[in-house]
Amino acid sequence: MKNLFSDKKTIALLSVPSIVIIAFAILAPLVVSLYFSFMEWSGFGAATFIGTDNYRELILHDGTFYRALLNTFLLMLVTIFLQNPFAFVIAAILTKLKDATSRFLRTIYFIPATLSLVVVTKLWVSIFNPSYGFLNKLLQGIGFQNVQIAWLSNPKTALGSVIWIMVWQGFGWALLFYYSGLMTVPKELEEAAKVDGANKFQLYTKIIVPYMLPVIQSVVVIDVVSSLKQMEMVYLSTEGGPGDLTQFIAVYLYQKAFRYSEYGYGNAISVIFVVLAVFLTVFIQRIFSERSAGKKRVGA
Amino acid sequence: MYRKIGLFALMLILATTVVFAQGAKESGKGETVVLRMGDNIPDRSTGWGAVIERINKEFIEMHPEVKITTESYQDQAWQEKVKIYATANQLPDVMKYWSFSTLLQPLVDGKFVEPLHMDTFKQYGYMAGALEGNVYNGQLYGIPVSADLWVIYVNKALFEKAGVPLPQSWEDIVASVPKFKAQGIIPMVTDGKDGWPLCEMFDNIQQRFSGSFQPVADAIERKARYTDDNFLQTARYIQNLVKAGVFQSDLVTSDYGASRNLFGQERAAMYMMGSWEMGLATDPNFSDSFRDNLDVIEFPVVKGGKGNSDDLLAWFGGNYIVNAKSEHKDLALDYIEYYAKVFPAYAWETQATFPAQKVEARENDTIVAKKLLDIAADAKTTSGTPGLDRSTTAFKETHQDLMRRLMSNIITPEAFVAELDAAAEKAAK
Amino acid sequence: MTRYQTERNAKKTLLAIFLSLFVVAQVFPLLWVASYSLQKSGDLFGPELLKLPVNPVWNNYVRAWFDGKIPQYLTNTLLVVIPSVTLSTVLSFSIAYACTRMQWKLRPVAWFIITIGLTIPIHTTLLPNFIWYNFFGLIDTRIGLIISYVAFSISFNAIIFSGLLTGLPYSMEESAFLDGAKYRHILPSIIAPMAATGFATVGVQTFLNHWNEFIMANTYLMSEAKRTLPFSIIRFQGQYSSDYAVQFACMTLVALPPLLLYFIFNRWIVAGITAGAVKG
Repeated sequence: MKNLFSDKKTIALLSVPSIVIIAFAILAPLVVSLYFSFMEWSGFGAATFIGTDNYRELILHDGTFYRALLNTFLLMLVTIFLQNPFAFVIAAILTKLKDATSRFLRTIYFIPATLSLVVVTKLWVSIFNPSYGFLNKLLQGIGFQNVQIAWLSNPKTALGSVIWIMVWQGFGWALLFYYSGLMTVPKELEEAAKVDGANKFQLYTKIIVPYMLPVIQSVVVIDVVSSLKQMEMVYLSTEGGPGDLTQFIAVYLYQKAFRYSEYGYGNAISVIFVVLAVFLTVFIQRIFSERSAGKKRVGA
Repeated sequence: MYRKIGLFALMLILATTVVFAQGAKESGKGETVVLRMGDNIPDRSTGWGAVIERINKEFIEMHPEVKITTESYQDQAWQEKVKIYATANQLPDVMKYWSFSTLLQPLVDGKFVEPLHMDTFKQYGYMAGALEGNVYNGQLYGIPVSADLWVIYVNKALFEKAGVPLPQSWEDIVASVPKFKAQGIIPMVTDGKDGWPLCEMFDNIQQRFSGSFQPVADAIERKARYTDDNFLQTARYIQNLVKAGVFQSDLVTSDYGASRNLFGQERAAMYMMGSWEMGLATDPNFSDSFRDNLDVIEFPVVKGGKGNSDDLLAWFGGNYIVNAKSEHKDLALDYIEYYAKVFPAYAWETQATFPAQKVEARENDTIVAKKLLDIAADAKTTSGTPGLDRSTTAFKETHQDLMRRLMSNIITPEAFVAELDAAAEKAAK
Repeated sequence: MTRYQTERNAKKTLLAIFLSLFVVAQVFPLLWVASYSLQKSGDLFGPELLKLPVNPVWNNYVRAWFDGKIPQYLTNTLLVVIPSVTLSTVLSFSIAYACTRMQWKLRPVAWFIITIGLTIPIHTTLLPNFIWYNFFGLIDTRIGLIISYVAFSISFNAIIFSGLLTGLPYSMEESAFLDGAKYRHILPSIIAPMAATGFATVGVQTFLNHWNEFIMANTYLMSEAKRTLPFSIIRFQGQYSSDYAVQFACMTLVALPPLLLYFIFNRWIVAGITAGAVKG
């Protein structure tokens, strides 16, 4: 019997195709990227080997790259510390409502998350339009006459506007995750806490949130990863501008390769990006596994 | 659950059938030679696009076995596409492109462009310097199609509404800003997102200060520096124009189409752009009131500056090139020769654009067309290729990027000229 | 009414307002676009905050359908998405099974590769694949796109399946082995049905993701003939960009299929998230 569980042919058949596809479409390209990151190439003609020049330029002199990192980090902060708490609170409220109402609201709240990024971006670009967009009209309507804020062009508002679009789109996912997590909290836990005299606030902070830690962990990891991954929304709206105030790493590497014709440099950004992504993901998971390991020792 | 899956599958089948039925109607029939073309003119129903369609139709009548497919994008997107195509070795057979070294030189160097015979084309009445602008390494590589003059289009009705006379100087324009704003009119629009119009303005205002276009060429060749006074003065001046409210508030995210439409929809009084947009006067997408009130003026002077309004920022940018690796080279070459032969007349007939070849002025030319002919004829000095197109791609991108930052007020004029000069230095290496 | 009851009512009202504000925030942008999609483009510049379509200009949708080249692009999307979703589902199920229920030495290595797939950002493969895929003649092909779509969706889907498969008792296979059954019978007939919700979730979620995908299609596809649905909206730039109403109609049309899908199948989307995030 054990033979069939270790049947080599079946295992190969089941696993090899996936591994091959991932190797071909994801891993091999990373190697290609590494290769080109040491080259100077416009995209056609001959490529010249320049060693670590791209990396040196990138790490030592490229202000835009660091701006992009900063923007990513700001997005993470807003997502984790603003969007997530809202999502959590609303999810908690939803668990207490009648099933039909809860389901209705959940469905509505998730709608933006189903939309293509192209739709979401073009939608908000229209809303933010200084001449005909809804936002300026609203402001004018409530008394700010002659307001013509170019939300996506003005250096003061551009980043906030772009981050708003991203947070708006991702809200539904966070809500859903937290809702699903909250639904798995056993009723006995809540009841026991109530018997012990815990009020609502204590119930949530001392019992439910710790119980939900694995879910929170997943959501935070996803927040981190998706903050890094922002590209389409910026590409289709501000393209990193004004200046580099709304620049993000994935947009920057795309522009360097296809706009500036600095293909090698773009690949160097790409390589650093991979390293950063893997490192951050592992790092966050470590933090959480340490904390939950600690909790486990204390006993739940 | 199975019911839901069944419903979904049914929807999918229905959708697929409807869609395939649509698609089936369009499939071609029989053996044809397909000539692939690409350009930066998405609207085929009017203006330049319509002229091309007319030329295509006549070409197909002369060559019945040929079918022409064209893909069109906005400028920036088209340039990106061409780069991508070149890398993947999938360039179209015939392309509308630009004669600038930043764009054409890499393609020529990569052996993607078919050399053309100067003698074949000399007979088609090109303006002085037009064909020469397309010569690289002693060979002709493209045929110019438009003479590009840098001008300001105006909507006379909006000027009247605001009680403003047509401007002679940029100071006039700054003074008129409050009057326009009071009427809810944007004084001037241009394509700030792509950035290159801002670079043209930079070159032009530089000339209005110093009296010559030469410093730009010198700075590129490192015989002068962008940190020189005339350039610093220009940068300061331009930043002040923005601060005075001359341009649309979303200038740097307003792309070509968006800015053109702001003007066409009569939201803006002035549109800073090139002579190729003379087709605005006959564009059916816009209202009669817009078209009837359209006029064009020379680029204004700077009070106290040495440059005059008949010093013209002008070049021969747009061209057509043939893919050296095309499988239908003969047909492609035939095509562009036919294009060279008929384009000026056809384009002028519908006032679609300002050709690089001589045309006869006609009675019923639009006001804009007549004015442009005059402006071209009256020009005392012309600039030749603008600064941003005289160097490398990286320099052009940096120049555009810096203009956007300057006009978003993110950097100081001093920092602007320093970085621009550094970029020129780097590119010259 | 007692004071307690008034307090409760006040709280309830506040709650209702709070929740409604969020409904507005999430849904209003779409409604705004949909509303103006049925009017004339010029109406957008009017002074009103929101104008409802009194005489709906249905023609905008007809024009969006043709100017946006929706039939062609929709076909292309289907030609890419149906294979990619099918392949991704089958492959991720297979490898999830192999890595959770079968015994082999390289199991942890294989699973590691699967989890790595989650952390690598898509955009880091755009540049190199430009050369890499071109080498294999995969640029401007639907197959190249399908391969990338499948590759990037296997990881998440395999994790969802693994969550569902680990809980099953080994007796399921064992009794089948005793009856002399082979895997090619056991997997589809016995194991797969147990993971039925996983298939539904993976299928729907992957479908949504691939249907909406834009940047890989933008980088790998060249010709007009192969473009996918998101490009319909992109067409409304430049010359057509003054046609705001038609552009809005196009956005509404493109947004509808995933929305409808979501409304019908949202139960499985939730199930997947539970399996993936909460238990995984």
